Amino acid sequence: MLIPRKVKYRKQHHPDLSGRAKGGTKVNFGEYGIQALEAAYVTNRQIEAARIAMTRHIRRGGKVWINIFPDRPMTKKPAETRMGSGKGSPEWWVAPVKPGRVMFELSGVAEPVAKEAMRRAMHKLPMKCKFVKREVWE
Amino acid sequence: MSEVRIAAEPRTEFGKGAARRARRAGRVPAVLYGHGTDPRHITVDGHEMMMALKTPNVLLRIDGLKGKDNLCLPKDVQRDSIKGFLEHVDLLVVKKGEKVTVEIPVTLTGEIAPGGVLNQELTQVEVEAEATHIPEGVEVDVEGIEVGTHVTAADLKLPGGTELVSDPETLVLTIAAERTEEEVEAELGESVEEAEEPVAEAAEEKSEASE
Repeated sequence: MLIPRKVKYRKQHHPDLSGRAKGGTKVNFGEYGIQALEAAYVTNRQIEAARIAMTRHIRRGGKVWINIFPDRPMTKKPAETRMGSGKGSPEWWVAPVKPGRVMFELSGVAEPVAKEAMRRAMHKLPMKCKFVKREVWE
Repeated sequence: MSEVRIAAEPRTEFGKGAARRARRAGRVPAVLYGHGTDPRHITVDGHEMMMALKTPNVLLRIDGLKGKDNLCLPKDVQRDSIKGFLEHVDLLVVKKGEKVTVEIPVTLTGEIAPGGVLNQELTQVEVEAEATHIPEGVEVDVEGIEVGTHVTAADLKLPGGTELVSDPETLVLTIAAERTEEEVEAELGESVEEAEEPVAEAAEEKSEASE
């Protein structure tokens, strides 16, 4: 599971999700990619689930790239706790993803296989996504 | 490469409001500069420009402007990151016979030998070519190449009149061995074991202590 090795502050503010992705909006490493169409926090479990879904489908061939990293901690107060008494404890890690961001890339497989693998992976993600291909000329 | 003629109009109003109005009217703001000339701000037809830009390094002839220096190459293309429509185009003035440095696409043909996974590291290679004779791309034949093979930029067969600018040692593609079923199973299994890792809580205590 993706997790930071070390963090400066255990509890952070919620990351901003407004606007569009500033970079990482093109397929750079592989041939195909999954592009986010909405903003969302993607947890490390969701990233892992998507990666596994892709790997299970492509089996031996192909290579998967993960372009996002869940480096922001999210906290939660225990159930049935009164308000106050400080911020809750860190429970999970998220990657803030804005629309346009290419989150996963894939290469080394035929397009129909890549499309199906990525369709399965998209079901594990919390936002609307689309399948994108690397452009010959950008 | 033949040139594509595109009609342009000089821009009279500037700023994001004007640019958005132009885009809503189906036009694309662009700027034309180079060879020490003053930058000329223009708008071009969005659809025409989009179709022209489907060819890499297309040579454009901008009509409807004063002056002679209207032969140009696209230098930078800004697109909407999701929809892909054009937002702005930078056009670089070139002269006939002038040598320019451009990036041309590397395309692959053929099928690699079974048991290998092709990993293309370089998708565009930087070359120097005559502005009016820029090749559309360079092809690499990967038919039957074996696992462990590396292709570098020096191995590319560039068309005549074109010189390589990129480092000749730059890796273009590699052929790695396919993963075995055991490796795939191990990769799928390891994530479950890792899930039990403790949350990294590192240096905050240190920072609290210093406060």
